[in-house]
Amino acid sequence: MKRFALVGVGMAAGFTAAVMLFPSAHGANDPSAYRQLNLFEDAFERVRVNYVRPVDDNELVSSAIQGMVSSLDPHSSYMDAKAFADMQIQTSGQFAGLGIEVTMEDGLVKVISPIDDTPAARAGIKTGDYIAAVDGTPIQGMALDDAIAKMRGAEGTKVTITVLRTGTKKPFDVTLTRAIVQVDNVKFHRDGDIGYIRLPSFNQQTDSGLEHAVRELKRQIGPGLKGYVLDLRNNPGGLLDQAVEVSDDFLNAGEIVSTRGRHPEDTSRYDAKPGDITDGKPVIVLINGGTASASEIVAGALQDDKRATIVGMTSFGKGSVQTILPLGQNGGALRLTTARYYTPSGHSIQALGITPDVAVAQGDEDTTPKIERPSEADLPGHLNGEGGPKKQPAQIVHPAPGKKYDDFQLSYALDLLRGKTTVSSIAKPTDAN
Amino acid sequence: MKRFGLTGLGIAVGFCAGVALLPLAHGADSNSQSAYQALDRFSQAFVKVHERYVEAPDDRLMVENALNGMISSLDPHSSYFDPKTYADMQVKTEGQYGGLGLVISADNGAIKVVSPMDDTPASKAGIKAGDIILAVDGKGLQGLSLDKVQELLRGAAGTKVTLTLMRGGDDKSFEVKLERAAIEVEAVKSHREGDIGYIRIPAFNEHTSEGLEAAVRSLKKQIGPKLKGYIVDLRDDGGGVLDQAIAVSDDFLDSGEIVSTRGRNPQDTERWDAKPGDIADGKPIIVLINGGTASASEIVAGALRDHKRAITLGITSFGKGSVQTIIPLNGGEDGALHLTTARYYTPSGGSIQATGIAPDIAVAEGDESTDLPKVEEPSEADLPHHLIAEDDSKRSTVAPIRPPPNSKIADFQLSYALDVMNGKIKADSFVRLAHAN
Repeated sequence: MKRFALVGVGMAAGFTAAVMLFPSAHGANDPSAYRQLNLFEDAFERVRVNYVRPVDDNELVSSAIQGMVSSLDPHSSYMDAKAFADMQIQTSGQFAGLGIEVTMEDGLVKVISPIDDTPAARAGIKTGDYIAAVDGTPIQGMALDDAIAKMRGAEGTKVTITVLRTGTKKPFDVTLTRAIVQVDNVKFHRDGDIGYIRLPSFNQQTDSGLEHAVRELKRQIGPGLKGYVLDLRNNPGGLLDQAVEVSDDFLNAGEIVSTRGRHPEDTSRYDAKPGDITDGKPVIVLINGGTASASEIVAGALQDDKRATIVGMTSFGKGSVQTILPLGQNGGALRLTTARYYTPSGHSIQALGITPDVAVAQGDEDTTPKIERPSEADLPGHLNGEGGPKKQPAQIVHPAPGKKYDDFQLSYALDLLRGKTTVSSIAKPTDAN
Repeated sequence: MKRFGLTGLGIAVGFCAGVALLPLAHGADSNSQSAYQALDRFSQAFVKVHERYVEAPDDRLMVENALNGMISSLDPHSSYFDPKTYADMQVKTEGQYGGLGLVISADNGAIKVVSPMDDTPASKAGIKAGDIILAVDGKGLQGLSLDKVQELLRGAAGTKVTLTLMRGGDDKSFEVKLERAAIEVEAVKSHREGDIGYIRIPAFNEHTSEGLEAAVRSLKKQIGPKLKGYIVDLRDDGGGVLDQAIAVSDDFLDSGEIVSTRGRNPQDTERWDAKPGDIADGKPIIVLINGGTASASEIVAGALRDHKRAITLGITSFGKGSVQTIIPLNGGEDGALHLTTARYYTPSGGSIQATGIAPDIAVAEGDESTDLPKVEEPSEADLPHHLIAEDDSKRSTVAPIRPPPNSKIADFQLSYALDVMNGKIKADSFVRLAHAN
């Protein structure tokens, strides 16, 4: 029994902080957590003493935290002090990079979508591409944030990424010049008497950009304005408060979204304030498998309130909220999944996505292998959805065979708003899976 | 120095979890201060996840994942075995193990099949060299070390496992259901090549030196007194048990150092010497090596080369010059660390870590193309976070002898080795080559 006594000494010395922190949350000691922390300390000490060369205590612990957090789900990760500082700079404005939204899969960086008008988009980097190496350094074993940090750098500098693409036998290198990635401005134009607005992501400028776009379109089109197409396709999301603001722009009252976590801080509800900047004109929201997170909040809020018709394909299904939790001084921060989103009707979109009111295919989906069109439910370690499997619409409208459209979904949406049919389409029942 | 002694005891006995914690309790030196701060940061992170994560996390799993992240960040051969994996491993080292018969490597982030072993579930199911394993039983292999993937593939004979594979040129991944079977540890094989004895050592397991001794006896009997020498084939031999590498080296050596290991702690620093007796009676030996010759195989090649007991022929070896020690946590109840604790040194004092064993006579297999992307043929120096070589020497870059174009020689390295031993190629031509680098 001697060893237990010794273990006790070790714990008292090493984990005073933890022991003191636990009661704050639970009002009592948590023996399970206490035992696990002790196990970690034991292993940590053995590595320090026995590893073939002296180790860096901080690096060891950073790797441990990274291993612990990133195995929770694909959106939780650890940022060390440097990555955390970089993130703060980035959210404050602009940064130089390649312009891709990425996730970690099978130990490689996977492209969720290239951002419009960036070096990556111009170089032809595609959704579903894997990045195996950056400047010849393999990505395997690297944390997502470290991989991203390697891709970023000073404007004008060059970076070579090694890309694995499904259907291409060998990895190939692409050399890109880093550019300031304007985290996506809102784009808009008139299409006859309809206003088209594209939101490429949700950053601090999105809501003001949308309001500006609507003002401009009203001025350009005048009183004949029939309605709006709000394009959220391949919009990977971004800031929650911007999704709330954007939804509020179209809504007069009622709930926009609510978040629920285990901790009271992570549970809140957001309601619309009076005022609809589009004066109640019809709105069609375009979505697809690349519509994720904040975009799904907007689509869900406008769908549940019947404020918009949702056209396109079932969205990605990222219904979780990440919170940045700093760890003491210079300790970096956790990017931790702390809550799920719920649409006003009470549905979680986690792993389920938003099902369109009118399912319209772009026409290129059938030939695209599954691996190139990942959804949340395909990510390893994703949080499970609540309430049944992902719903598929009963029928999907496809472009008629032989017809070529630049953007069939948009053409279909414009027809729908104008109440006429110019596109040639066929409806196909959905596959059983 | 007292704590080293105590720690050593802790490892030897397999528990005494608290002993290693003592330096922390003293807490005086800056070393402990830094450890204390690092541990404090970990406990903060743990508590935050414990309190704030969207779902109540499994504390145990959190720490296992932390250990996995921490240990596998050290080098490609260090890993954490969870309690189940550790228990399975105990069974495995006691003899044959249940598995699929796959030799795998981590190839730039992808787990790649090096080769399916003959007559195993993997080869029967048509799994091919070069296939990429994406998932095991639906579980993605993201962030897992090679050892961990290996453990996932293993299990009791008769149990089923589903692999998700991707094959070059195919767009889609596909699933293969396999039933694990008892995988026989690979045995030493031998045959005569005229008056020369050919001995193939595919791996180092408990029976290897026994198998080698039997092979030499049998070859002596078959060939008789005109036996010219032996070719020991260590190509694609990924290594295995250290004491077998020592026993095999000792079989051919009369005296002198075989290998030494050096770590930071006394128990990781050791030296092994040869005992009198050479089962090959001093006859010439050529050892065949290539990029797949690793670890225990490199010890044998290095020892025989340094004592000038054998000529090495082929391609520079893999370069795994590190020793891993199994350190059980809480007597194995909490799993174990598979930790790199020392480096190997050949008798001449060279570390083979990352540099590998350069052949005395560099001979290509014929199909290696020097312009292949580096990623296709990993060596230790290509692995992320590999231990850096200690000396300045780089991996040998001597241009290998290649088969003449359009030659139909099935095994050019072997045929070259036979020519050397039969005197068809003059000895001094390779002595010169041996010192070219």
